[in-house]
Amino acid sequence: MPLAYGRASHGKPIGGGVVSGRGKAFARLFAVQAAWNYERMLGIGMGYAAEPLLAGLEATDSERHAEAAGRSAEFFNCHPYLAGLALGASVAAEYAGESEDRIRRLKTALCGTLGALGDHLFWAGLLPAMMGLALIVAVVWSPWWGVGLFLVGYNGCRVAVAWWGLRTGLDTGMRVGQAIASSWVPRVRRWVGLAAGFLVGVAIPLAGRFLLGGLGRSQILIGVGVAVLGLALAYRFRATFGGVRYGLLAVALVLLWFGVLP
Amino acid sequence: MPILLYRIDDRLIHGQVVIGWGRPLGIEFIVLVDSEVSASEWEQELYRMAVPQAVEVVFADVEQARTSLTDWQADPRRGMLLTGTVDSMAAIRGNGGPTIPKINLGGVHHRPGRRQRLPYVYLTDEEYRALIALKEDGIEITAQDVPTTRAVALSELA
Amino acid sequence: MESSVLMGIGLLWVWATIAGLDLVSVPQSMVARPFIVAVVAGAILGDLLAGARIGIVLELFALDALPIGAARYPDYGAATMGAVLVAAGQPPVAGLGVGAATGLVLAALGGWTMPVLRRANARAIRDRLEMLRTGHAATIRSLQYAGLARDGIRSGLLSLIAIGAGLLIRHLPPLEGDAAAALTVAVVGAGLASVLSGALRTAGRSRRCRWLTAGLLTGSLLAVAL
Repeated sequence: MPLAYGRASHGKPIGGGVVSGRGKAFARLFAVQAAWNYERMLGIGMGYAAEPLLAGLEATDSERHAEAAGRSAEFFNCHPYLAGLALGASVAAEYAGESEDRIRRLKTALCGTLGALGDHLFWAGLLPAMMGLALIVAVVWSPWWGVGLFLVGYNGCRVAVAWWGLRTGLDTGMRVGQAIASSWVPRVRRWVGLAAGFLVGVAIPLAGRFLLGGLGRSQILIGVGVAVLGLALAYRFRATFGGVRYGLLAVALVLLWFGVLP
Repeated sequence: MPILLYRIDDRLIHGQVVIGWGRPLGIEFIVLVDSEVSASEWEQELYRMAVPQAVEVVFADVEQARTSLTDWQADPRRGMLLTGTVDSMAAIRGNGGPTIPKINLGGVHHRPGRRQRLPYVYLTDEEYRALIALKEDGIEITAQDVPTTRAVALSELA
Repeated sequence: MESSVLMGIGLLWVWATIAGLDLVSVPQSMVARPFIVAVVAGAILGDLLAGARIGIVLELFALDALPIGAARYPDYGAATMGAVLVAAGQPPVAGLGVGAATGLVLAALGGWTMPVLRRANARAIRDRLEMLRTGHAATIRSLQYAGLARDGIRSGLLSLIAIGAGLLIRHLPPLEGDAAAALTVAVVGAGLASVLSGALRTAGRSRRCRWLTAGLLTGSLLAVAL
């Protein structure tokens, strides 16, 4: 149902703009990073997703609409799946006639907060948890079941969260912080990380066994040795050491040893 | 345990800070130095939500940071100090302020007048000169967004 | 070349290009993860198990790097497809090491293309600052579509390079038995080191570290029992 805002809680009243276009904005949020760049980060994608939501403002206050549309495409960065919270909240604040300064400050605060929350919930939470589970299922059962489980489980959660985010942002505006704090987010954030730790932990030995299974005992021991050495190096050079670099180093050493590389 | 990371990042508290650095360093409290945020309840509420419950966030303005930094440095817990601008960090140290051993440039983004030095570091010439002055003051300054990337020396940002 | 082979290669190209777009631009559904790319590529090439093996070993490397914020990370989409192209139809020990090594090189190359794309997007914005200030809808739309098109071209080209590299390495004389086995052992060992160090780094000193340890013990017991 479209939301109507009559009077602003702060700033000037704008007189009854109607927020519509949620479905279109929601679809556009899936491409919120399509024009990602170092100067505005998600800015252009946010402006693109804001366009259908701000259309109602154009009819009632075209000057405010132009300002709001300009602001919507300014620098912004957060986790892409939670961008709807910031989009919804800032659009609601525009309809409520909040001051330019308060809207900018809201977006700045949401940048960091939604970035950190999203990284906890998804990049360090749901993603490794579901991938750990998928690898376990693939090794124990079948690769297709692993793929299916991962894609359905991960995207089911992700789409639901994105829709909740846009709706909550639009409904709460400047009060979006309280809305997030009293929602499911703090609870889920605590356990999804623990689940990720556990499932990745289970997946690692199973993956090792699956990959080294056809080899002889001495070769398996060498593989484990390479892993232990890599861990020690990663611990020693934590700041500058990435997994791909260690992999490439190991490959180069083997190729040199066997005379494949000059 | 001293403050383990002094970081300049205009996004203040976000994923790179909380997970990227906070987890491996085992950070237990974050001092956020920003005069506007330190005066605004609703913004503090938002930033507090970005960190896990076990981590305390202390909000301060530059003056409070100058007077309290030695106390935070003596805190038995592991801490991190964050400012949004080069100027705030320089103001904490400036004119006989408390000692800062190292500064991490974590994210200073595009604004008119700033020139790109790294994908995540844009600086005006004045900001760069302020950093050089801090370096001449004996502070080690490097740019590094997350612990898994290379720390870039200030001289490479000229 | 037979038409069925050409069709298979065409399908691989389309699949890897979709994965490249999925990584950042649209819709970030994680089909770009090496495990997903590899199983589908393995099925296209008629060797599902080779795909699964490549997918799992490259996933061990990919799980090390969380795509936090704007930090730089490798692009595994096209790279994984190239790796499966090398390994498909080969005996496991011979194909896994060479394939995964190819994948790692291509992933690093893919990661390098991302900043190039991001700078091109920034340049396009710089030319339209005044229109953006007033929120000109057609300007925002055109920047968005152009960004998408640039990433499509990036992904398409990267996929072509991966196909070229995969076919080339497939047609090189194979490594002798010992060297191929050593490469497999080295890559798997390095992958295990990556995923473990990444998991320990993310867990830090929090409660997650205990859960990770419990998982490792459970997984070890299962690995011995199965």
